[in-house]
Amino acid sequence: MNQIEPLKPLKTWSHLATRRRKPSEYEIVSTNLHYSTDNPDAPFELDPNFPIARWFRQYRNASPLRHDDWNAFRDPDEVVYRTYNMQQDGQEAYVFGLLDQLSERGHDQMLDAGWARQLARLYAPARYPIHAIQMQSAYVSQMAPASTISNCATYQAADSLRWLTHTAYRTRELANSFPGLGFGENERTLWEDDIVWQGFRELVEKSLVAWDWAESFTCLNLIVKPAFEECVIRGLGDAARHNGDTLLGLLADAQLRDAERHRRWARSLVKMALEQPGNVDVLRGWIDKWMPLAIAAIEAYAAQLADAPDTAERAIATLTELHRGTGC
Amino acid sequence: MAILERSKWYDLARATNWTPRYVAESELFPETMSGSLGVERSKWEAYDEPYKTSYPEYVRIQREKDAAAYSVKAALERTKLLENAAPGWLSILKAHYGAIALGEYAAMSAEARMTRFGPAPGMRNMATFGMLDENRHAQLQLYFPHEHCKSDRQFDWAHKAYHSNEWAAIAARHTFDDLFLARDAISIAIMLTFAFETGFTNMQFLGLSADAAEVGDYTFSSLISSIQTDESRHAQIGGPALQVLLANGHKEEAQKRVYMGIARAWRIFGVLTGPAMDYYTPLSHRKQSFKEFMQEWIVGQFERSLIDLGLDLPWYWDKMIEEFDYQHHAYHLGVWFWRPTVWWNPAAGVSPDERDWLEEKYPGWNDTFGKCWDVITENVLKGNIDATKPETLPIVCNMSQLPICAVPGNGWNVRDYPLVHEGRTYHFNSEIDRWIFQQDPSRYRDHMTVVDRFLAGMIQPPDLSGALKYMNLAPGEMGDDADNYAWAEAWRNIAATRRAA
Repeated sequence: MNQIEPLKPLKTWSHLATRRRKPSEYEIVSTNLHYSTDNPDAPFELDPNFPIARWFRQYRNASPLRHDDWNAFRDPDEVVYRTYNMQQDGQEAYVFGLLDQLSERGHDQMLDAGWARQLARLYAPARYPIHAIQMQSAYVSQMAPASTISNCATYQAADSLRWLTHTAYRTRELANSFPGLGFGENERTLWEDDIVWQGFRELVEKSLVAWDWAESFTCLNLIVKPAFEECVIRGLGDAARHNGDTLLGLLADAQLRDAERHRRWARSLVKMALEQPGNVDVLRGWIDKWMPLAIAAIEAYAAQLADAPDTAERAIATLTELHRGTGC
Repeated sequence: MAILERSKWYDLARATNWTPRYVAESELFPETMSGSLGVERSKWEAYDEPYKTSYPEYVRIQREKDAAAYSVKAALERTKLLENAAPGWLSILKAHYGAIALGEYAAMSAEARMTRFGPAPGMRNMATFGMLDENRHAQLQLYFPHEHCKSDRQFDWAHKAYHSNEWAAIAARHTFDDLFLARDAISIAIMLTFAFETGFTNMQFLGLSADAAEVGDYTFSSLISSIQTDESRHAQIGGPALQVLLANGHKEEAQKRVYMGIARAWRIFGVLTGPAMDYYTPLSHRKQSFKEFMQEWIVGQFERSLIDLGLDLPWYWDKMIEEFDYQHHAYHLGVWFWRPTVWWNPAAGVSPDERDWLEEKYPGWNDTFGKCWDVITENVLKGNIDATKPETLPIVCNMSQLPICAVPGNGWNVRDYPLVHEGRTYHFNSEIDRWIFQQDPSRYRDHMTVVDRFLAGMIQPPDLSGALKYMNLAPGEMGDDADNYAWAEAWRNIAATRRAA
């Protein structure tokens, strides 16, 4: 028998070693980490046909959005856990600095009661759709066919919890400053029944059950999130500034930083998907399917934003531009 | 105070359940993925996570923890610990990283399942931090071993193991898929966080951290104790879920998940941590035997927490405790014997002094496992290394995916626990493994062990070389005795002294 030459140590993981470039920290810790994609017929090291195995085979492996190598996806921001915390700890120090300073200066006491009433209706219930975005981001994270996609979705879920936290915090402050307006009490009823929220409610409930991983991603990152962000963060933030609510305006800006990062990875993923012929029709189909619900949600909400009258038009234009910009 | 205390607004951040209108509740939380056993959603409002934190606190504390872990690594980078470390210690590092790093990443998906499908908002928020934690653990445990790739090809397996059909990787996947990756949200809360993380990871991480500090590997020690601080936070997701199930008449189902979780974790720890503690760790650095660790961390811990929750001890409790005396010794013997099929170099750990320690900690060891090692030692001393290597494959348990084995020598108790299900005969290491299968055969029915694959002709040529190819192990990666058989020399000296006497 011929003596086989022993394998020699490599400078990096064997799966990265054939590339010329020295791998970055991002590549070392983020790439090819899902092992459940290795065998297309059996996602798990268990029976291939029990219910959860079927779920992954149907909604991940058999997605109509196809690519030969999803693992080639790279987050344009190359976020890793270590840098995520550095970045967001800095952001939170800024936000809590604002909350501290503006509270010291009596920010809420200077707000008009009419605006506070609008906040009770248009702002505080937002924790429900934000939480839905958090949940759906976690769905995309667990179903995505590449760890580099899952990581983006994980940080996006965490960012959503960040926004939820800001909203809960402000709701309590506003409840203290404006007792009797239902802050901290009426949000669920408003979310479930007020006409202003029903468009978003229908959109997020239906979007949460779009089980195909790629449809869930498309619907969440190209429809639900940008629609929500343009109305309930940017539009409401503009109206806030108009009403002397400096804090909400600045808070909106801080959250939109996260949203911009989410759009960057979403655009990159769509761009990569479009390398494969046929995917454009799949994505277009999903966008066409979900856009009417998004437009209805945007219009229902924005109709109440008298102080930011361009919100609906601008939000729809932003979504259209986002879709066109990615080429689908 | 201009900043509100967390307790003033925390409840609002977890008041996020609503009644859906545009889709059915059962569609939003399908049983396959949520597993709330028919307990109404309103009942889950009672869920109260004992460990509370918030987003700003999380990112601040985690930033600090990362800064500490990475700075220890940076500071000690030039100490050449690896060049000077005991070979057995290196084997522990390789086995640990390969078996754990991508498993941690799979746990991120499991936490994500609780974030999406958990019935209680508090659970969903805590699981969001859990997702981040597991993301951290995967990244740390890839980043730290990566630097060793350049000096030792076996470190490549920190990333590669889970993508291979190496038998220990198959066993790890089967265990972790069954414990959490392929489970519904409530089962994950019970099996991953309560059954696995509160007891077993505590032992792996605190036990190994203590051993690492003993051998002077402060980088690894600080790394895994830092990881453990995250685990002990998110491990608390399961307790309140059990309480809700108990309060709503689901004690039996809840208990069953705890029992399956502990039993599955025990097997994988038996093969990974057992040999590490009782054989690979240099004798002078051993603090406790694996059995003592199990008694303290698993038996003690679970007996307390099960009783606190009003759960009964598992029906197999005494049987499992009995196994502490032998199962990991049997696994170690198998791992060492089949050493070309692992990605680390098993340390035999049977020099005269080490055998004295084993006999002290496990009275009767010399008369049972020692008998096998006597034969191996004799062959090594004769220079007949081939006789200490395998030619065939063992019978593998259809649950643990590990060899069916127990006590050899004078205490022989090895037996198969078979089960015929829908015409196929399955083989199990014990009645515990068989019981798990019987709880839900559909989860395991058509899975093939590595030996089933061998018999089905999927491994070619049908010999050890074919098996190694199938496991993606080549020379340069395949394991060999960690000490290059130096441990046997002490026996030669003893034999010579005896002859002289």
